[in-house]
Amino acid sequence: MPGYDLPMIRADNLSRSFDGRFAVEGLSFTVPEGALCALLGPNGAGKTTTIRMLLGLIPATNGSAEVAGISLPASEDSGAALRARVGLLTEAPGFYDRISGRANLELFGRLYGLDETTLASRIEHWLRRLELWEPRERPFGTWSKGMKQRLALVRAVLHEPKVIFLDEPTAGLDPAGAREVRGIIADLRAEGRTILLCTHNLSEAEELADLIGVMRRRMLVFGPRESLIEGGTGLEIELTGDPDPLVHLLSVLPRVRSCRAAGRVLRLELDDLRRATPEVIGEVVRLGGAILSVRPISTTLEEIYLRAVGEVAA
Amino acid sequence: MTREIMLLFLRKELSDLRSNRQVWPAYYLLPIIAIALPLILLIALPALTDAAQAGHDAGARMILETVMNDPRLGGGTIEERFARFMLRDLQLFYLFMPVVLSSSAAALALVREKEQRTLEPILATPLRDRDLLLAKLIAAVVPAVLLTWAAAMVGIAAGSLGALWRVGVLILPTAGNLVALVLLAPLMAVVAALAGLRASARFTDVPGAMQFTGLVVVPFSLVLVAVVGRPAMLSPVAGMAGAVFLALVAYWLFHRNLRRFRREEILTRWR
Repeated sequence: MPGYDLPMIRADNLSRSFDGRFAVEGLSFTVPEGALCALLGPNGAGKTTTIRMLLGLIPATNGSAEVAGISLPASEDSGAALRARVGLLTEAPGFYDRISGRANLELFGRLYGLDETTLASRIEHWLRRLELWEPRERPFGTWSKGMKQRLALVRAVLHEPKVIFLDEPTAGLDPAGAREVRGIIADLRAEGRTILLCTHNLSEAEELADLIGVMRRRMLVFGPRESLIEGGTGLEIELTGDPDPLVHLLSVLPRVRSCRAAGRVLRLELDDLRRATPEVIGEVVRLGGAILSVRPISTTLEEIYLRAVGEVAA
Repeated sequence: MTREIMLLFLRKELSDLRSNRQVWPAYYLLPIIAIALPLILLIALPALTDAAQAGHDAGARMILETVMNDPRLGGGTIEERFARFMLRDLQLFYLFMPVVLSSSAAALALVREKEQRTLEPILATPLRDRDLLLAKLIAAVVPAVLLTWAAAMVGIAAGSLGALWRVGVLILPTAGNLVALVLLAPLMAVVAALAGLRASARFTDVPGAMQFTGLVVVPFSLVLVAVVGRPAMLSPVAGMAGAVFLALVAYWLFHRNLRRFRREEILTRWR
């Protein structure tokens, strides 16, 4: 993320307990301006609680945070100022069924303090952009799920917030609808908005995020997507013969964390893939191994997620 | 911003009301009763007077004694005194009506937002607790009071004409009626709505909020109607004193609601 220096979201040891049980515990992370951070975690991991704390809707039991330049916990005035700078998309769209989509947006737009003229032009712009202009006067209750979710996305950006919190934006959408919503999120990121995306969808996080965090009550893994996903440390070496005699000899090399054989393949976990690979290959050749192929094993987000969440569960 | 927000919510509630057939019966039935009741009583007046004079049962004899001995009912024939007695007490219905309408609308105000999942997006806007509560209060009270005033105007006109036809005297409106309608009805509506709003913020389901309102808020408000409203029908000064009392109760209730309004509680207790 070159050029993104200002932290737009900063959580520092943030905790929240309900009836003595921690929903979020010691959560710390920073999202720079213009970055999209995906927060992953199973149900009940504390993702929604985190969003609510960062929006000042519920106070933290411990810790502090700063969002869009406003420190939390916030006073009534700074809380209102914070909410004016942040857009929220909740898991359920949260509109009034009996009034039209346009009237719903008008109501929320006014609550965000937009004047009539600005609001009308922004509503038209966004409804046209998201192909919701035609049904705008129909009662919201008659809209399809995908349309409802897109309208909720419009509400989240109508007041042009610096920061957008998206809580499961594609949950329950069909593949086409989900793809459409992902496209809009990518556009918003490209416009330079800072986005915190809570999702269960790993491929969504992999596709969209600059930063990825896996949480289960506390942050288990956090970092730039490239270093998490593409910076794997595994190596696979396919031999022409039996690799078993080499396993023990390779395991004791300084940069090798582990080595095991599977068929004619040696699977190694290394400390530093770039520096250790030539050393390992040289050693295999020196020991008389005939190499058919060598390829690095990249860690998938699913592996990272399952490993992190599984460790906590264990 | 507050006035604009109040108008926004008022418009939204009115539009919701228009399309929500479940709440129509109360908004239809109460005005019909308010208009029809004085006429029915005046039509039945000779029969009621005869029954009281015949003195066959203790209840009728007691009413007759009250009617004949109450100096505030003025002079005139026994029918005239009876008509005055009945129409005077009937005016309490115009205080009962805004209580029922505003408290039930307020009881639904927040709990329905929770049910529709609109409360979190609302709380995520820069709207302050005070503005939200005030907007919800106005949205519950204004339709109730306007409907009460409209029904009362027609009801009082019908009662006046009916009395003129039955006993040849213009009985309504009295100064007490006007004080009750102009001051007490809105204040009763506000007090009942504030109690309903508290229930709405605390309860997590519509039936719970409605039951609490029906079983606690409405009966308690009706006691208030009797305590404050009845003296008002007899004396405008008593009515004004009652209005001051209700205004103080409303002020206290509003600030208590505001202090106890917890965004956190509303968001985290709702599933």
